[in-house]
Amino acid sequence: MATEQKYGERNIEDYYVTDEPFYVPTSDEIEIFESAYRQRVPVLLKGPTGTGKTRFVEHMAWRLSEGLTARSPGAKAMNGAGEKLPLITVACHEDLTASDLIGRYLLDADGTRWIDGPLTRAVKAGGICYLDEIVEARKDTTVIIHPLTDHRRSLTIDKLGSTIDAAEGFLLVVSYNPGYQNALKDLKHSTRQRFVALEFDFPEEEREAQIIAHESGCDSDTAERLARLGLKIRNLREHGLEEGASTRMLIYAGRLIKEGVSQRRACQVSVTWGITDDPQVQRSIDEVVTSIFA
Amino acid sequence: MTSSDDSTQNDIETTRKELKQFPAPVLERYEVALEKLEGRLAEETCQQWALEGLEIARKTVRSWEAAAAFFDASVAVQRQLPSGQFLKWAKTGTSLCEDSPSLAVAYFTSSPKAMLRLRPRYIDDWANVCRALYRGTWKSSALACRLFEATPDLLETLSFEEFCHFGEFLEILSRRSYDQAGDALNAGIDLFPKITGDVDRFVNLAQIVAEKSWRDTAVLFDSATAALVELGATYRAPLISLARQLVITGVSDAAAILRDGANTVNRVPADNRDRLLEMTDGIAAVSAPSAPAFLKIVPDILERVTFDQMGQWQAEGVRTARESDEAAIRYFKLESPASQKMLDSLSSSIELSRVRDVIQMYCLALTGRTIDIQAAQQLAEKNIGWFQGELPTTEGTTIYMPSVINRYTTKEENFGFFKVISTHQIGHIEFGSFAFDFNTSSNLFDDLRSRLPGATELKAAKAADEAARKKVSVKPQVVVSGHEIPFDTQQAASGQDTEVQAPEFLTDMSRFFDLFQERRLALDVFTVLESSRIDGYVEELYPGVMRMYDMVRVAALESRPDVTDLPAQEALVEFMIRVSLGQVDDMLVPTVHKTAARKLRKLIRQISSVEARVEDAAEAAIRAYSILIDVKNEDLEDEDYEQLEPEEEEDNADEGEEDDVVDPEEVIQQFMGMSSPEGEGEGEPEKGDESGDQEFEGEGEEDYSSPQEVDYRGEFKPELSQLLSQMQMMENGEMSEGGEMEPITQEQLEEMMKNAPEMEMEQTEGEEGGDQQVSEMIENLMKELQKRDPENQQFQPGPSQHVDEDGGPLTATDPDTFTYPEWDFRANEYKANWCMVHEKIMADGEPDFFRETLAENSGLVAQIKRQFELVIPEMYHKQKRLEDGEEYDLDSVLEALIDLRIGVSPEEKLYWRRNKNERSVAVAFLLDLSASTAEAIDEAKKPSDDWGAPDDPVEYMVWLRSRRSEGLRRTYKRIVDVEKEGITLLVNSLETLGDMYGIYGFSGYGRENVEFYTIKDIDEKFSDMVPRRIDRIAPLHATRMGPAIRHTAAKLAEAEARSKFLFLISDGRPQDRGYSREGVEKEYAVHDTRQSLIEARDMGITPFCLTVDKAGHDYMKTMMEDFSYEVLSDISLLPKRLPQLYRNLTT
Repeated sequence: MATEQKYGERNIEDYYVTDEPFYVPTSDEIEIFESAYRQRVPVLLKGPTGTGKTRFVEHMAWRLSEGLTARSPGAKAMNGAGEKLPLITVACHEDLTASDLIGRYLLDADGTRWIDGPLTRAVKAGGICYLDEIVEARKDTTVIIHPLTDHRRSLTIDKLGSTIDAAEGFLLVVSYNPGYQNALKDLKHSTRQRFVALEFDFPEEEREAQIIAHESGCDSDTAERLARLGLKIRNLREHGLEEGASTRMLIYAGRLIKEGVSQRRACQVSVTWGITDDPQVQRSIDEVVTSIFA
Repeated sequence: MTSSDDSTQNDIETTRKELKQFPAPVLERYEVALEKLEGRLAEETCQQWALEGLEIARKTVRSWEAAAAFFDASVAVQRQLPSGQFLKWAKTGTSLCEDSPSLAVAYFTSSPKAMLRLRPRYIDDWANVCRALYRGTWKSSALACRLFEATPDLLETLSFEEFCHFGEFLEILSRRSYDQAGDALNAGIDLFPKITGDVDRFVNLAQIVAEKSWRDTAVLFDSATAALVELGATYRAPLISLARQLVITGVSDAAAILRDGANTVNRVPADNRDRLLEMTDGIAAVSAPSAPAFLKIVPDILERVTFDQMGQWQAEGVRTARESDEAAIRYFKLESPASQKMLDSLSSSIELSRVRDVIQMYCLALTGRTIDIQAAQQLAEKNIGWFQGELPTTEGTTIYMPSVINRYTTKEENFGFFKVISTHQIGHIEFGSFAFDFNTSSNLFDDLRSRLPGATELKAAKAADEAARKKVSVKPQVVVSGHEIPFDTQQAASGQDTEVQAPEFLTDMSRFFDLFQERRLALDVFTVLESSRIDGYVEELYPGVMRMYDMVRVAALESRPDVTDLPAQEALVEFMIRVSLGQVDDMLVPTVHKTAARKLRKLIRQISSVEARVEDAAEAAIRAYSILIDVKNEDLEDEDYEQLEPEEEEDNADEGEEDDVVDPEEVIQQFMGMSSPEGEGEGEPEKGDESGDQEFEGEGEEDYSSPQEVDYRGEFKPELSQLLSQMQMMENGEMSEGGEMEPITQEQLEEMMKNAPEMEMEQTEGEEGGDQQVSEMIENLMKELQKRDPENQQFQPGPSQHVDEDGGPLTATDPDTFTYPEWDFRANEYKANWCMVHEKIMADGEPDFFRETLAENSGLVAQIKRQFELVIPEMYHKQKRLEDGEEYDLDSVLEALIDLRIGVSPEEKLYWRRNKNERSVAVAFLLDLSASTAEAIDEAKKPSDDWGAPDDPVEYMVWLRSRRSEGLRRTYKRIVDVEKEGITLLVNSLETLGDMYGIYGFSGYGRENVEFYTIKDIDEKFSDMVPRRIDRIAPLHATRMGPAIRHTAAKLAEAEARSKFLFLISDGRPQDRGYSREGVEKEYAVHDTRQSLIEARDMGITPFCLTVDKAGHDYMKTMMEDFSYEVLSDISLLPKRLPQLYRNLTT
């Protein structure tokens, strides 16, 4: 009796962004990224949480896959091969080691078997490898990516004693959130100077409203108010809040509102309580919420 | 018979003879008395009397005086007493004389009067009571005499029994101090007549106090007397009894109980006084020591809650009191959180101080700027142009609010009112009331501003013109009361070239108001329109507050004056206000001005939209003004008013096409002509400034006066606020494109203040006083401006002349002194051994500060502890890949096996171990103890001005002392106090974490004297001494950071830890006397500090700087480049922020 498979499963290098991810550019970041990709210059995305870094990478993966610009006369498909561009995302955490990225031997019945790590697979498949929150990873990981980011474009696997030259379409993209307060967790200069950096910040009010409306499906008036709320709360950054309200947070509020949760309550659960545990700051944010939403 | 006669005669004769041996007065008085007594006394008695006198005289060398007094008093006393008693009286005196002739003198002298009130049988007792005070010394004798002398007075109000008790009390007290007993006696004479009936009770209390703690009796008699007298008879007895009861149970301060009790009882309405005393008794029954605290706090409590509610509060306190006296005292002192919480829940009023932080953050969120929240009274006290102490207002950077709101019955509504006020006031900031730009065009109207002539200009032109024509020099004059401007008439007249220069204005707002003749009217109109605009924005952007907003507006409408009571012009302004407050029905307007009213209403509607900008409000004001100026301000009868139809019914036929309510061309003509189009005074050249006013006023016209303020809108001062907020923005570097503004001079300010319509109302009364007031205000305003813009410092004393470049290197010879080099950025090299650090251990203080800080911040303490505890698990890190350890690490073993299989040499590190020593942190906190930390925290945004420290050592000490003495009488919180709090909270939590840490303070005076105080050394264990030393942290001298940092780094270098941190907490830039050559001190200081931080980093130390200086961003950027730092926007956040930063930095 065959059970119906209710989930999707695929190899990571087979992940292509096929539907256009919604992304509203704030300036020329799309063009810069495209140029960087053409020149295979690795890209560093900086910015606070929830400002669309991941979405941007997905959008670019889709865009480059579709070869939108490539359709213009005379241009080749962006990724060289004219094939779809895989996107391999690795969320970095503090226990992430180099072999988690490169790969390791595993035991099996007959002996051992080498398994490629996600980075290796991306290098071989020629896709975009996106290392999210790179500063969180152990220091040794940053060293192995160095040869991939300069002219060598190669990955050394010492366990195998081999070096892999990256496939043509490969590009390393990393992101990090510059929290200036943490002296121990900062990106080393030897690493950061290997990337072109794109700075992400919260979109301006009008654009953010547009994004909220699109992503949450709430009406435009609610979206505008949510955007205004986001703007106001961000004024509290460094005055009691470590991070401003992310667009993502506001979108969640919008979704709850669309589901029929009252506006004030939706903001409370998805914004106020999420953003801080400090009762006084919560109270202040609540006051802003109750001013903006009737 | 004869013999006896003879003998009698003889005795008398003998006595006479004997008495001759004594100084003359004795015999003289004897003779006088004898003459009168002979007839009245039996012979025998008389004889005995004479002998008694003789005996007294013979007693001692000095006793003749007593004898004289005896004879002197005898006649009067004899009248009061039967002969037996009379002799007894004499004998008592004789025995007194044995003790001391002075006593006897006093006894005899006071007897005649005393006998009037004293029963004969008490004579002995009386003498004994007084004699008891005598102990053979001069002082005791004086006291006893004093009591004899005072007896007649005392007995006027006291019964003899009471007198005896008083005597007893004096005797007890005199064992300790004759002086105090003497004072008590004097005070008693004064007091007792005023508290008749309660004397015994009081004396009894005094006696107990004298026994328990005799020193307190002085205060008891001194300060309690007034209170008791004031209290009145009814409650005196119970209060004294209460005090007595409390003193017996061990409360010491009886005087305070009486004083506070009397004060409190008098403040409580009569019918609640019994209950008040019952409550106090109730408290005293469970916890005597807390009853005085209760008596003292009651008036404060009653300001917030009703008497009945206080009963609930008291009952809760009594429950607390059963636990411990300590807790009860804190409760009734309103110091414990439970007590405040209880009170809060009972009271519906909201105090600004309690919601200040929330509102401040709310304002910050809305505007994106740090807005300070202050009680309105404080602005009025600054005296820089705002006068109302209770209305909300803003000057662009701070919002001033009433300190307590008690308008509604619920807390929510009262808080709502705060929110309405703040939303409206920050609306002025958020929606740019003060960003008015004369040249920016408006959104909704045609711009008229630039086409209108300025009044000043016109006036000057006219004056010059006139002067030229008449060749008469016009006397300059200052018109304080009118609307006329004393603009350089003199200059215009004397300068023969009549070219009139466009006047310069400090602000665009001033330039705008210069367009108007009737400035006050213009201001009022602008105020209404601008407030409507803000309300419009609020309505659109913050619909959430509208429910409360509407409630407030309705209430505001209810308190408006009747339109029909006002003269026509004012009635129309009032009409505008009512429209702006949302009134739609029952709109009375003068019948003849209905059209004008419609136009005004339309203007309000137009301006209440999010399309409108402040420039639109200005344009609308020009239009409204031009409508209103045509309206005579005359008194009208009630029937001259009519209802204006609601807007919907308005005849809109022509409105659609005609956008503007007025014809711009006409307005320009009207402004140009400077005259009322109705014809009065048309073409009339003005003769003088004063007459100008009258010319405008026709028959029956009233002087225009401003409308009553709207409570939630408060005082709106656009000109001043624009000026102040401009200065602020310049300081914050926000006005980049506007370029540098010239420093403002006092003259310019005076000019503005005199012309500003906002100022006029204050100047109308008495010219002298007005001028005085204005100049004071200007001075204050100058100071305020300097605070905001440190560059504008022309009134400050010149910079220091002292240079200590000439001196040579120093040598440290004394123990605990260290020399360090200093970095000279101009020479790009070190000056060797340039500074001398004196290390001392901070003196011990009391441990109370530490304990109290922890108790007061118990919530925060718990929070920090929790945060730090979260760090601890990280300390138990599982360390993998070890050659030896607790157990095999499965991953490593597998890998080794794999390696074996594939034939590579396997890794030998197969074990893991929980490693406790993962965290190895040493941190040194370096506190800036410079004199500027003595500033009150509210003043903290003031850039520290001790750059002007005098250079001469003597002057410097004076300067220093004056700064310090400020600290002595402070009641406010200083920056250093907040630093102390922060350190206290941190230290407490650091003990959980187990990091090595040291706390140091530094200050100094010149390079030879860098003082370095150790509060806790890095390797020192935490002990009771640390809290004691923290207590003594206090502002000292200047801030020479470099050597202190170098010294701290040297200490850290010795500590054995993997990560080392240097945490610098400062309140401003580094500065000291004689920091390099004049002009570059600031730079020099910053560079040297930076250099010392670089040195620290080279030693493997991570420096971090936390400053509370708002001006910090500019120099910090240079000083801390590549280093982490944080500028705290609000110093009061420090205790909270410090542990957070610490945690983030070290994990």
